[in-house]
Amino acid sequence: MYEGTPGFVEERVAHGETTVVVEPAQLVDAGRHLRDEEGFNFLSDITAVDYLGWGKAGVSGYIGTAAGRDLNTPMTQGYQVVPLAKPKRFAVNYHLLSITESPRRVRLQVWLDEGEPVATVIPVWPTADWHEREAWDLMGVAIEGHPNLKRILLDDDWEGHPLRKDYPLGGEPVRFSGEE
Amino acid sequence: MTATASRRTGAPIYEGTRIPSPIPTVLHTPPGVQATGDVQTINFGPNHPSTHGVLRLIVDLYGEDVTGVEAVIGYLHTGFEKNMEQKTWWKCITYPERIDYVSFQNNEYVFVGAVEKLLDLEIPPKATWMRTLLCELNRIHSHLVWLGTSALELGAISMFWYAFREREQILDLFELVTGYRMHTRYFQIGGLAEDIPRGFYPECRKFTDWMPNAIDDYETLLTRNKIWLERTEGLGLLSAADAIALGQSGPVLRASGVDWDLRRTQPYLAYHQVDFRVPVFPEGDVYARYRVHMQEMRESVRIVEQCLDRLESMEGEPWIADDRKVVLPPRHELHTSMESLIHHFKIVTEGFRVPEGEVYYAIESPRGELGCYLCSDGGAKPWRVKFRAPSFVALQATATCMTDALIADMIAIVGSLDTVMGEVDR
Amino acid sequence: MALDKPLRDYGLQSERLLMPTKASSFEQEVADLEQKVGLTTLAKAVAWAQTNSMWPDTFGLACCAIEMMSIVGARYDIARFGMEPFRGSPRQADLLIVSGRVSHKMAAPLRQIYDQMLEPKWVIAMGACASSGGMFNNYAIVQSVDKIVPVDMYVPGCPPRPDQLIEGIIRLHEAVKAGVPPAYELRSVAS
Repeated sequence: MYEGTPGFVEERVAHGETTVVVEPAQLVDAGRHLRDEEGFNFLSDITAVDYLGWGKAGVSGYIGTAAGRDLNTPMTQGYQVVPLAKPKRFAVNYHLLSITESPRRVRLQVWLDEGEPVATVIPVWPTADWHEREAWDLMGVAIEGHPNLKRILLDDDWEGHPLRKDYPLGGEPVRFSGEE
Repeated sequence: MTATASRRTGAPIYEGTRIPSPIPTVLHTPPGVQATGDVQTINFGPNHPSTHGVLRLIVDLYGEDVTGVEAVIGYLHTGFEKNMEQKTWWKCITYPERIDYVSFQNNEYVFVGAVEKLLDLEIPPKATWMRTLLCELNRIHSHLVWLGTSALELGAISMFWYAFREREQILDLFELVTGYRMHTRYFQIGGLAEDIPRGFYPECRKFTDWMPNAIDDYETLLTRNKIWLERTEGLGLLSAADAIALGQSGPVLRASGVDWDLRRTQPYLAYHQVDFRVPVFPEGDVYARYRVHMQEMRESVRIVEQCLDRLESMEGEPWIADDRKVVLPPRHELHTSMESLIHHFKIVTEGFRVPEGEVYYAIESPRGELGCYLCSDGGAKPWRVKFRAPSFVALQATATCMTDALIADMIAIVGSLDTVMGEVDR
Repeated sequence: MALDKPLRDYGLQSERLLMPTKASSFEQEVADLEQKVGLTTLAKAVAWAQTNSMWPDTFGLACCAIEMMSIVGARYDIARFGMEPFRGSPRQADLLIVSGRVSHKMAAPLRQIYDQMLEPKWVIAMGACASSGGMFNNYAIVQSVDKIVPVDMYVPGCPPRPDQLIEGIIRLHEAVKAGVPPAYELRSVAS
């Protein structure tokens, strides 16, 4: 339905939602097209997802991980079906809404490698300002052209990007639970 | 849409004609004013009685005029999203409640609803109607807290006690149903955790009979009060185009003249079967947001009454879905059926699995569009959870609303955006 | 100077003291401390005055702040204990009720606020997050506020009911009346 979007790669429909995947290089043009031609004038949310380690949690049918069975480690159960591999490590989803007579939602998705920046969509939807700062702060997705790319939720001198899969959860070991 | 002028200087309402040039989220002191050397930078620090939680505003003051404002957030960042990735789907449900801690049932519902969307689970009608009822009671609760605290900050101190008197009644109702006042964890994936206790319907009726009188009391105190009008009319102007461009939703958007309510345009739960009006006011100022909140309280009471009418005829119906892969079997079955025992064991120890996929589920929380993005890898724990918090987006509009405001007006404007810092920082 | 009669015979109101079957070393601790401290009548009078007008500072952080606001409401009324003026400035406050989760970014302002309060000052860690980090055992939340400020009273709950918070406040009052010194004299912050 949205094949005319600049940089179009593919379109998926699942659970009643449409996801349009575009090339990162043409993200701003795609955004403008969706806003002006298709009427998606409202950007709800920008979500960055890290797919490092996707599909490695175990093999169906066994209690354990791919490395072996471990009854003492909780939650090491396997999958029923190993999920399909993802094209790159990071996905940035732009959830769009059309505040018009015909309300619709669509998800605009781009795939990025580690370190690959994505252009800012502030010229298209000004509300993207803080969402992009959060994506940078927590996930380390570099935004090109952002007027004020500073950390927003964490301390200014924080090192690392916590929501990445290779960043530990942190906290303290709970006593008498075997974690110490 | 009629344009209102600022009460103080007569400057017209901010028109959203600056797209594609960005709308600033930081207000900078104009260089002419900066050069006078009279500009004082004050820190409205994270610990402040009037900033609705841990919000830090760095304000440039020229006398009493606010010429520069920057919002610094993150003082309540809790790492919800990363924490939820380590818990099974069931155990996750206690987390979203604490994100927007004033409208906790709505937060719980958005997560549970998103998981049910991924699971394609069918919810029994009794659970749907009860969820609607509790979400609407929570809307009234949230608006009462907003009213009490905002009025307190503007000097209408007694409003705090009146609003909290009704709030205690609502919390009594929550305690009657769920066992706890706040953060009830009553919604389960598939329906409700327990059946609705006896004696709830008459108690809720007493509340819905009394509440419109209480709202009349509040309006008598404030709506045509000269001091209240002086302090709220013509302030914090936000035009409809600016509001949409800045991602505003909920009462802020409706007070700017945009007729948009997710309960009516993209209905969820039982809202398409309930009759209610959506209040919209065109002025876009703090007073319009106040009127929207008051009207919404009245409409919520009507919705609760309609839910009660439907629920009273649903005695004895199931309150949770029947899918044994996801929902615990009833306790008595564990003594007789082997499959029930195995299902119970698997659900409690490993947790059920949600098929692979991603979903974005949005509802109308008292603050606006609350969305939950869920990505599942087919396992027992979420892969990624993200909450689209309306207050996070509302705070971006602080600078835009703050055109020719005095320092006392700034408190009124930030209060009217109805932000909850737990939601902003997650 | 040991206690010659149990604390409840001094007229103190805490429910735990009125229910002696509940196992508690509270009375013993207080008796030991009174022995070491050696209260005079003047000190008792000063302690009575301090407890009956211990003004809290508005340090509401998260969900517990909403329940803390309820104790100012008409149902759970702390004005009857003299505590309804929540001071905006820490320089005018006696009691810091840390209500809510403390993130690492907020830890520095918390310590600053605590330092700005004048002695004698007391700290109540309200809720599970302030007492121990609560359900958030992760990178962002300080695991217990007693790593930053010395705490006098921990009130568990998520969030604690307003009456639970009032119970904590009353116990703090009784400890002060019994002569227990504020926490900064007894211990330093946890490690």
